[in-house]
Amino acid sequence: MDFKNFSLAISQTKVGRFAEDLAAGKIMSTICKKCRKPYYPPQADCPECMSSDMEWRALKGEGSLITFTKIHVPPEHFAVRQPLMPFSSIQFEPCPIGLLEVEDGLRIMGWIPKVDLKKVKVGMKMKASPQTLPDGKLTIILEPI
Amino acid sequence: MRKVAVIGIGHGKFGVRSDASLRELAFEAVKACLDDAGISLKEVDSMVTGIAGDEFSIALQPSAQVHDYIGFHPKPNFRVEGACATGSMALRTGWMNIASGLADLVLVVGVEKMTEVPTSMATDIMGRGGDATWEYPFGTTFPGYYAMIANAHMAEFGTTEEQLARVAVKNHYYGSLNPYAHMQKPITLDKALTSFTVAHPLKLFDCSLITDGAAALLLASEEKAKAVSKKPVWIAGLGLATDTMRIGNRKSLTSILSAREAAKAAYKMAGVGPSDIDVATVHDCFTIAEIVAYEDLGFCEEGEGGKLIQAKETYVGGRIPVNVDGGLKSKGHPLGATGVSMAVEITKQLRGEAGERQVKNAEIGLSHNVGGTGQVVAVHILRRE
Repeated sequence: MDFKNFSLAISQTKVGRFAEDLAAGKIMSTICKKCRKPYYPPQADCPECMSSDMEWRALKGEGSLITFTKIHVPPEHFAVRQPLMPFSSIQFEPCPIGLLEVEDGLRIMGWIPKVDLKKVKVGMKMKASPQTLPDGKLTIILEPI
Repeated sequence: MRKVAVIGIGHGKFGVRSDASLRELAFEAVKACLDDAGISLKEVDSMVTGIAGDEFSIALQPSAQVHDYIGFHPKPNFRVEGACATGSMALRTGWMNIASGLADLVLVVGVEKMTEVPTSMATDIMGRGGDATWEYPFGTTFPGYYAMIANAHMAEFGTTEEQLARVAVKNHYYGSLNPYAHMQKPITLDKALTSFTVAHPLKLFDCSLITDGAAALLLASEEKAKAVSKKPVWIAGLGLATDTMRIGNRKSLTSILSAREAAKAAYKMAGVGPSDIDVATVHDCFTIAEIVAYEDLGFCEEGEGGKLIQAKETYVGGRIPVNVDGGLKSKGHPLGATGVSMAVEITKQLRGEAGERQVKNAEIGLSHNVGGTGQVVAVHILRRE
C-alpha cells in the first residue's frame, strides 16, 4: 500500500506502514521505547530523547472535538484535479473537518461526513475511524458516539 | 552588539499588479527607499531579499532576479524565507549583518508576485504551508486553519462573528486612507457579515488578499545613521520564535504561543512593555488573527480581544491603535513584502509622516508578523530616540 494513498503527495517515509494499517482498519501511533513519549501522527524518531527505537500502537481514537471548520473554498487539488472533496455532494456541499483529542492527548484530524454543521460543537464526543474512499484513497472520519 | 537604525523606507503599490513582474515590483520599492534615504546603491554593503514562495515566482532562486535587476552584483545578497513572516525575517537578517559589524549599510527588500498563478493554485500552495503530509489530505487551506482557531476561540471565550467583522471594518477604513493599499474602500459591518463563507466561520471579508507588491528598508549602523540621516528610527527589540508544524500538536488553539515567546523576547530586549507601545502593525491575515494578536502581545487580557475591537480601542485615538495602514486585510498580503511593509509603516508613524492615519506623537512602535499558522513568528520594536 503506497503511503501516497493517504498523503496525496509523498510516498517515501519511514512510517509508510501507517497507510497499510489504515487500509486494515487501524489508526496507528508510535511510542518511543526509551522515554515512552507517544506520537500521532506517528514518527520514526523521538526528538525528546533522540532515540529511533519506536514501537507501533493502535489508537482507540475516542475523545472530544477540539475544533472544526467547513472549508467552502477548497485548494486546487480538491477543486480541480479531484472534482469533489471526499464526502461532498454533487452540488458541492463541502464536508466539515475537525480535530479530535484522543488518548494520551494525541490529536487526530478527520472529515466529519455525517453531522450537520449546526450540530458540530467543540467538546462533542466522537470516534475516529479509517475509511477507504471509492477511488481507493485512504482517509479518516470522525463520528459522534 | 552595534545599534541599528532604519534610515530609508520604500513602498510600492500593493494590488493585482498585472502590469509588473517580481523583479520590477522590487525595483519600485528599492528606488523609493534609496530616494527616501538620499543614499545611492553604490554605498550599500549588502542586501537581504525576502521572498516566500518559489512556487509563486516559478523560479528556484527568485532573489537573484531581484539583485540582478537592481544592478547590485557583485555584492552579497541573502535570500530569507519564513512563509508569511519572511519580510520580518529579512529585516532581522539585515539587522544581524549590521549588529555583527559585517556591514554598515544593508538594503532589505521584501517582495512577492502572487497573481501570476490562478487563485485556486495560490490557495493550494498556501494550504500546503500547513503540514503538507498530515493535514493537507483533509483539504486544509489557510482560511481553514484560522477558521479552526476562530471556532476554538469562540467556544472558549464567546468571541463573536460580529467582533471579527469589526476588525475588517476598521482595517478597510484605514486601507481607504492608504494610497499603497490593495483595497481602498471602506466597508460596512453588514457587508462584512453577509459576505459568503470561505471557511466557517470566516467569511470573505474576514480574509486578507492575494496581492502583488514590494517594500524596502535601508538599515544603517549607529555611526553611519548619525552621519547620513536626519530622522533615524532605531531597532530597539527583536524576538523570533517557533511552534509545531502541525496545528494539531499545539498546546493552545486559542493563542499563538510562538507569538507570545517572540513578543516576550522583543519587549525584554527593548526594555519596554505592552503599555509603552504607541502604535502596532499585527498579522491580520484573518480577522481572528488580529484578535488573537491583541491577546498574545499583551494589549488586553486573554480572551478579551473581541471586546477590545468592540470598544474601538484599536483605532487612532484609542488605547492602542493597530493596523492603521489597513493591515494585511485591506492593504494586502504579498507574503515576502508584508513584514517589510509593517516596518515601513511603523517608521512612517514614528517619523510623524503618516498623514491622516498619524498616531499623535508616536514614539515606540511594534510589528508582529506570523509565518504560517505560527510555525515562526517575528516581533520587532522600533523607537524614535
